[in-house]
Amino acid sequence: YSVLVMDDNEVEESALVRDVLYACQGIDGRYVNYRSVNGVDGYDLPDSLTLPRSTRTMVRKLCEIGWLYKKVKGFIDESTSKIPSEEVGTVGQAFCSALNDELTDYYKLLAVLESHSMNPIPTPGSDSGLHGNYLSLRRLDVWLAEPTVRMRLMAVLVDGCRVLKGGAMVGAIHRHAKHGDPLVQDFMGRLLKRVCSPLFEMVRSWVLEGELEDIFSEFFIVGQPVKVESLWQEGYRIEPAMLPSFISPTLAQRIFRTGKSINFLRVCCDDSGWAAAAADAAAHVGTSTSRWGLGYGQIDALEALVIEAAKRIDSHLMDVIHKRYRFKDHCLAIKRYLLLGQGDFVQYLMDIVGPELSEPANTISAFQLAGLLEASIRASNAQYDDRDILDRLKVKMMDYSDGDRGWDVFSLEYDAGMPLDTVFTALVMKRYLKIFNYLWKLKRVEHALTTIWKTMKPNCIVKSIIAKEGFVSILRKCQVIWNEMNHFVTNFQDYIMFEVLEVSWAQFYDEMESSKDLDDLLSAHERYLESIVEKSLLGERSSTLRASLFGLFEVILRFRSHADRWFERIYELQSRGKAESKPKSKEIGQRLEGAGKAMTQLAGELFHKMGEDLDQIAKDYSNSLDIFIKQLPLQQHVDLKFLFFRLDFTEYYSCRK
Amino acid sequence: KSSQMAQASKPLYQYDLSSRGNEKDIASFAVSVQEPFLIEDLLYALVGIEGRYISIKRIRGKDGYVVFQIDTSMDLALQELTSRIFPLCEGYVLVNHFVESRSHFKNGFVNHALAAAIRAFLLDYQAMVAQLEHQFRLGKLSSQGLWFFCQRMMSSMNALAVLVEKAITDNVSGSATLNLLESQVKAMAGDNAVRSLLERMTECASAAYFKILERWVYEGVIDDPYGEFFISENKSLQKESLTEDYDAKYWEHRYKLKDGVPSFLRSVSHTILTTGKYLNVMRECGHHVQVPVSENSKLTSFGPNHEYLERIKAAYDFASGELLTLIKNKYDLIGKLRSLKRYLLVDQGDFLVHFMDIAREELSKSPKEVSAEKLQSLLDLALRMTAAASDPCHEELTCCVEKVSLQKTLATLKDLPGPVSGGNDAAIEDPELAEPLNITGLETFSLSYKVQWPLSLVISRKALTKYQMIFRLLFHCKHVSRQLCTAWQLHQGFRACKILGTPISRSSILCRSMLKFIDSLLHYLTFEVLEPNWHMMHDRLLTAKSIDEVIEFHDLFLHKCLKECLLLMPQLLKKVEKLKALCLRYATSIQVLIPSMNMLPERDAKLATTARIKQSQLKEQQLKLALENTVISDSIMKFENEFNVELQSLVPILSRNNSQSEPYLTHLAQCILGIRADQ
Repeated sequence: YSVLVMDDNEVEESALVRDVLYACQGIDGRYVNYRSVNGVDGYDLPDSLTLPRSTRTMVRKLCEIGWLYKKVKGFIDESTSKIPSEEVGTVGQAFCSALNDELTDYYKLLAVLESHSMNPIPTPGSDSGLHGNYLSLRRLDVWLAEPTVRMRLMAVLVDGCRVLKGGAMVGAIHRHAKHGDPLVQDFMGRLLKRVCSPLFEMVRSWVLEGELEDIFSEFFIVGQPVKVESLWQEGYRIEPAMLPSFISPTLAQRIFRTGKSINFLRVCCDDSGWAAAAADAAAHVGTSTSRWGLGYGQIDALEALVIEAAKRIDSHLMDVIHKRYRFKDHCLAIKRYLLLGQGDFVQYLMDIVGPELSEPANTISAFQLAGLLEASIRASNAQYDDRDILDRLKVKMMDYSDGDRGWDVFSLEYDAGMPLDTVFTALVMKRYLKIFNYLWKLKRVEHALTTIWKTMKPNCIVKSIIAKEGFVSILRKCQVIWNEMNHFVTNFQDYIMFEVLEVSWAQFYDEMESSKDLDDLLSAHERYLESIVEKSLLGERSSTLRASLFGLFEVILRFRSHADRWFERIYELQSRGKAESKPKSKEIGQRLEGAGKAMTQLAGELFHKMGEDLDQIAKDYSNSLDIFIKQLPLQQHVDLKFLFFRLDFTEYYSCRK
Repeated sequence: KSSQMAQASKPLYQYDLSSRGNEKDIASFAVSVQEPFLIEDLLYALVGIEGRYISIKRIRGKDGYVVFQIDTSMDLALQELTSRIFPLCEGYVLVNHFVESRSHFKNGFVNHALAAAIRAFLLDYQAMVAQLEHQFRLGKLSSQGLWFFCQRMMSSMNALAVLVEKAITDNVSGSATLNLLESQVKAMAGDNAVRSLLERMTECASAAYFKILERWVYEGVIDDPYGEFFISENKSLQKESLTEDYDAKYWEHRYKLKDGVPSFLRSVSHTILTTGKYLNVMRECGHHVQVPVSENSKLTSFGPNHEYLERIKAAYDFASGELLTLIKNKYDLIGKLRSLKRYLLVDQGDFLVHFMDIAREELSKSPKEVSAEKLQSLLDLALRMTAAASDPCHEELTCCVEKVSLQKTLATLKDLPGPVSGGNDAAIEDPELAEPLNITGLETFSLSYKVQWPLSLVISRKALTKYQMIFRLLFHCKHVSRQLCTAWQLHQGFRACKILGTPISRSSILCRSMLKFIDSLLHYLTFEVLEPNWHMMHDRLLTAKSIDEVIEFHDLFLHKCLKECLLLMPQLLKKVEKLKALCLRYATSIQVLIPSMNMLPERDAKLATTARIKQSQLKEQQLKLALENTVISDSIMKFENEFNVELQSLVPILSRNNSQSEPYLTHLAQCILGIRADQ
């Protein structure tokens, strides 16, 4: 039999075993060669060799590991040759070194096997003095079973990670870790621990020191150079592709914000207290916070560190913003001056600036207006406000075109300064400006109405000779219109002041108190501004309503200018009448009669004209108001029902329809 | 002859001709030479590799299934022996195929773990084969010896092959795999070695499953990338739906048991489900809780002593206790329920009376015209001006105006259990449910209450709707009662004059009996139904063990209240509504009629005091008055008759139900009908 076998096998089995062992290390042996046939590559025996097919199959099966090894090794070599470079990065390095370590174990095994293979394979009858540790192909199969599984896994990983790097690579590896086989779990755990550690180190230094130690751009946070005031909004961003799946988006957000806060404190606030806060956090979490102390599987520890650091850094940042930069005071100042919260100041400013603003825009001097602003600050309770805050309040003249009046270009401006311009960005201030202009317009209308009232108060005019039938009725008509307008303007202003500004402010105040970090604060402020804009009908969707509102204002202002003219005439007539009543006592009756008649005629003409104008204004006004009231309920996005309910409290308007 | 057979069987080997060429015909050797050849081939065959004279034929369409064949020219006795060993080889190939294929990622944790366990077994097996080879190389292995050594593996491999075959045909994963293992263990219980092998497999496979289970039971997290766990999460159900949707299914369907619970967990599957659910509720509240796990209470130990059941129970107790304390203490469930009772069950009288005073005008409009904003501001006013202002919960109260009457709303809520569901009744009622034309805000007004998560678990939209039903009934009763009181006040204006024989006296008696009816009804509703039931619920809540129990008690309370408030008996409710409508009609007509006839008696009174002489004149006038008032008196008579008839018609209904063991109706009969019930 053995002769026959010898006949059959051209090659001795021990030679094959040695060859297979070489193949396992990716080396071509005497018989076993790496070949590529029809696109399928692998180790195989040459066809020319006379061997039983069982041996061939066995060899082929054993050489699978060699093929896998070649692949893994190839990847490692390729990557290592590129180190250090952008393409591999530190995570790639860690991956390679972890793979290398695994391979070292493998080499060790191969060495042992090699030594075994030196022992001769026993043959029948030669059992005396034989070493038990010889290697046959079949024994090799048992030895290599487990390493093959591991090698296969490595090959899969290598295939999966070939083009990835950094966080994306960690994520890809992590996806492969979800396996129920304890062997695989062990292996992956070991590997991930190594691979994650550079990433975790980046997280650590970002969270505790605000440093982006990421020269190969592997981290899921990316920084970009920007201007100081937009550091918070645009300075850094999260790169979702680099975010491994085991870091949840909320945790990532928190990591992101903490480092950003540190940078913000450092760059914008020129603050160094954060270091103490970070050290505090690190001390609180304890052991695993030293450099390179974090690994995969300690995601809890990482999370604890991040949460702790975030808490402290955020609270420190809020502290700085509130205490050092007095965010709340600035908000309040903006509300008082730009949103017309300080009534006496606004009233006084309107009083003294009003005449000036009626001039054409190009003749107005900004310096003079600044002086007037200063005067109105001194004259009102605003003078008791902090000088630092008052200094930030300035007059701003907007660009004007032909025919613009001062009213169109005047506005106030508030400069909160560094670092609060992160909150009060140019865009935000522009929106404030828009609100201010709107409120200022409303105030102006209200002011105009009050001025008319002053001139047309009945007790200014009675006891006059011209107080005749016609006049009484026309005056009454005037009063009615005035009342109607006043009702509208008062209620609308009440709505804006109390339902919009105060309510939004109260809400904002609560949110400001409860906000834990700058993002919260920003979004609270954004909501505050948004709610004011929407509710006071400045939003996109209420543009038609706003247009009709401005129409109403237009009518009211026209009424004012007409009324001014009428009453000027009336006072003129009145004073003339008075002047003429003196000569009456000196009994110059004739002339008086004549003059009286002329005056009556004049007055009659005036009243006639006035009546016509009044009718026109009343008609325009009620038209505009109708439109406005009809449009009110259409504004689904704002709760205007209450305003409607106030305007139409007695159901006068809804009945009139 | 044998060479002929060899020729015939040749095509079988054709697919690997490359090495076939230089093999010699086995028949040409002596049996003693055939044997070592055969043994070597068999040793290869045992690890699934073809040899010189043994070939493998794959069965088409079935991966992993192979048939071993031996050269038919071999010695017949050897052939026979070999074919006995073939099942082992075939089993190996099949099992190995399973291990290779199930280690792929997509097959799930349980399959991975099972494959790993089987791989360990196969390694043992391969080691055995290597051992045999050693013997063979020493020339000590005969074919008989081979057969003997294989025996040890035979039954185990066979059992595994059976298992794997079933697993492959059913393509099981997750808990199905575990169940299969479990049933195989039971089926193989007779063979000790096989049973312990399968038990080991089960243990390894379930370890992976226990890891998923552990996270769910201890943290409330489903970490199940391959969908193996028996609890599924429906992310589309949002917790906000609880406060908006009447038919919200959040609590029941957010986490659900799937089919295929592993049989060893079947008895505790609900406990497991609720444990994780509770943990999740707490997490949604931003309250991070983890069941404290010590090293020795890890769930991974699966054993016959059912220790894991104890641990699951412990986790459940912890979670439910923690959640209950959270909801009771931090979110103040009892306080919220009390405040619901205060407002929606009309416990706090002064606020309601004040509100009815100021909102009367708005509420008497039709529901379409009522402005909810105005009512809301009036409600706020009423809340701030009365004792309710000191209640911290009063901010949560809002109001709403429904569009349809109470009866109709009840009919549309299909899932309310009660006699409504009887097909006959419903058919009769439908046409009658046509909307009363003059429905006002008074009938449709109702309070509402803002409920925050997680209290919305208990006070869901559904529960709140039930509260609102009761509120609307009470509110309307209260309204009727107030109207009758006004009528009664008008009657008091006549105290000074003689009213005997006038319609006034008749009317005042009617007014009183109506008042008695409505007040008795209110008394019944509040003191006989709501108060005792609420207190009962309150006491039971204090002893509740879990949030599910709390929900159950609360729902039970609401259901009982609805039932005892007659809201589930449309027949009775209709009668009561009719009576109320009658009372209301009477009250309004009296308020119109009495002022109109006020003039005469007043003058009479004056006359009577000033001039006694004009007695005759007075009598005359009184006669006239009586004549004028016949119209009024007629209408009052009509009211009286109608009222009495309706009231009497209640008697049979109440007494009929009485026999149907519904004792609360006896209370009602006593309250409303008073002595008449005793007669």
